[in-house]
Amino acid sequence: MSNDTNVKFRLSNSELWGGLIGLAFGGFVIWSGLKLKLGTINDPGSGYVLFYTGILICVFAATIIVSAVTEGGPTLASRWENTRWSKPLLIIACLTLFSFALDTFGFLLSAIPLMVLLLRVIDPVRWSLTIPLSILAPLGMWWALKHLLGIQLPSGIFEIG
Amino acid sequence: METLLNVAHGFGVALLPVNLLYCFIGVFIGTLVGVLPGIGPISAMSLLLPVTLSGTPESGIIMMAGIYYGSMYGGSTTSILVNIPGEAASVVTCIDGHEMAKQGRAGPALGISAFGSFIAGTFALIALMLVAPKLASVAIAFGPAEYFSLMVLGLVVLTFLTQGSMAKALLMACIGVVLGLVGLDSITAMPRLTFGRVELIDGIGLVPVVMGLFGIAEVLLNTEQAIKRDVISTRITHLLPTKADWKASAGPVSRGTILGFFLGILPGGGAVVASFASYALEKRLSKTPERFGKGAIEGVAGPESANNAAAGGAFIPLMTLGIPPNVVMALLLGAFVIHGLQPGPLLITQNPGLFWGIVASMYIGNLMLLVLNLPMIGMWVQLLKLPYNILFPLIILFTIIGVYCSSNNVFDVYVMIAFGVIGYFMRKLGYEPAPLVLAFVLGPMLENNLRKSLILSQGDLMTFVQRPISAACLALAVVLLIGPLLPALRKKRDMVALDEGA
Repeated sequence: MSNDTNVKFRLSNSELWGGLIGLAFGGFVIWSGLKLKLGTINDPGSGYVLFYTGILICVFAATIIVSAVTEGGPTLASRWENTRWSKPLLIIACLTLFSFALDTFGFLLSAIPLMVLLLRVIDPVRWSLTIPLSILAPLGMWWALKHLLGIQLPSGIFEIG
Repeated sequence: METLLNVAHGFGVALLPVNLLYCFIGVFIGTLVGVLPGIGPISAMSLLLPVTLSGTPESGIIMMAGIYYGSMYGGSTTSILVNIPGEAASVVTCIDGHEMAKQGRAGPALGISAFGSFIAGTFALIALMLVAPKLASVAIAFGPAEYFSLMVLGLVVLTFLTQGSMAKALLMACIGVVLGLVGLDSITAMPRLTFGRVELIDGIGLVPVVMGLFGIAEVLLNTEQAIKRDVISTRITHLLPTKADWKASAGPVSRGTILGFFLGILPGGGAVVASFASYALEKRLSKTPERFGKGAIEGVAGPESANNAAAGGAFIPLMTLGIPPNVVMALLLGAFVIHGLQPGPLLITQNPGLFWGIVASMYIGNLMLLVLNLPMIGMWVQLLKLPYNILFPLIILFTIIGVYCSSNNVFDVYVMIAFGVIGYFMRKLGYEPAPLVLAFVLGPMLENNLRKSLILSQGDLMTFVQRPISAACLALAVVLLIGPLLPALRKKRDMVALDEGA
């Protein structure tokens, strides 16, 4: 790894960030465990295992942070070097939009645009294939689930599907 | 004699038309996901977990098991023909398998891979039949302390074998335990980490977590690179290995089978470790190790036998102790639980039809796989030409529907998308999801057994070291935890470290 991508004390060290997120999560788990009551060693309470697991999380996260500071680690940018990082980002955006639309508009009205977007985002498929595939795949699955397996997919406010 | 009667009973169950159909669907889907790089048995099994609800427990579990060992067969096809592993256990097959294909020997490579897999699968089943009932009778005496220590050992072994930093793997395992504890406390019925959401009262579902971490995250990772495939285009002939091929492969197949079976039984171990270990063993034993990497048939026969034997061996801890040794078996445990069954020492005596039926179906499945993977090889080659820009959107659609169907709940779709994004960033930062998923499944059992042990022993922690099996498991776990600090063991760990998630 080159010096540009392997840094020690800089904030861009990805190992440092991973450890810090772990530490914050561990702190939250310890707090949740305490809130739920630890009980005693004879009769452990609901928070007993959570509390001690939280401590372990903090210990491992601290180990990662120490190693990031002393040994260094790749920068956040280098993790996405020479990759088409915009592709997963676009898919995540599509999925987020879909998750907002699913309950309101129902499966069919949200899955068809999702398929159009996905087919065009990941190495664009030609429109003559995108359109039929985007309509037929969700429609076919909706039909099979409803009529063959008796599973009702969300129909949304327009009650389509 | 009793075993033979049980086997006959098992075949009676497995040969029912409906079970034959489920077995075929399982091995077919298994081969399919094995052939397609980017989708592994974990994604396929979690996608089909809800489908198992529609039939009897036998049918559902026969299908799920079929997907697992079917993927071991299918994975080799892609490794040999495209030089991309269809699934993680076939990574090592790429090395010599693809070299053989480039030299015009794709047929014998595919042939020995299928026959080796069949021989190993058959051996593993016979061993499973003999070992499982014996181990189950011993396991009846296990108390909560033994179960707790065994689960700790399983998690530690998996973190030891996970690629990259062990601290990261352990962190993932701890997070998995916490996620597994979301929902009502099984002893006090107090809601934990539910944030006032009714949907979380029953805990986070296994299907959305697995589909997110392995399905969606895998697609996100794969789209980062333009996938180039160099499919061997020449006609595949001479699938039956020659006498010389058999002579060269007999030893590797036998050794791979035995090694794979025992590595499969170990908690945290599995098909991936087995295939790597077998390759290393064959290279070390070979009189001409320089041929390895240049198309040595031993480099295909050994690992492919080992991964199939390990797939069979992995059923032992699940069926006899109720402890899944790897993520795939954790999903199978999910299938048992969906049907209200608890695998463990009493499963064989209380549900002999189920246990022996599954075992017999695996034999039938192995025969089906031989037919699917040899005469029908052309079909799988055609499938390898399916463009990824069409396949990935379809996978996303399947995962959304699969997750929704598992609970009829839109909330689970949100959970899956969230875990997909988390899984993607985890993988980018070098955190493997396998320890998280296994700990997620074991978490509630681990907590339950720990609390039971402490209550029974009146808070005496010595209970874990006074019981020999528990003490042995904990001692081994400690060795593995401290081990990586020693340079020699760290080097060994780096050599066998694996990416279970693929």
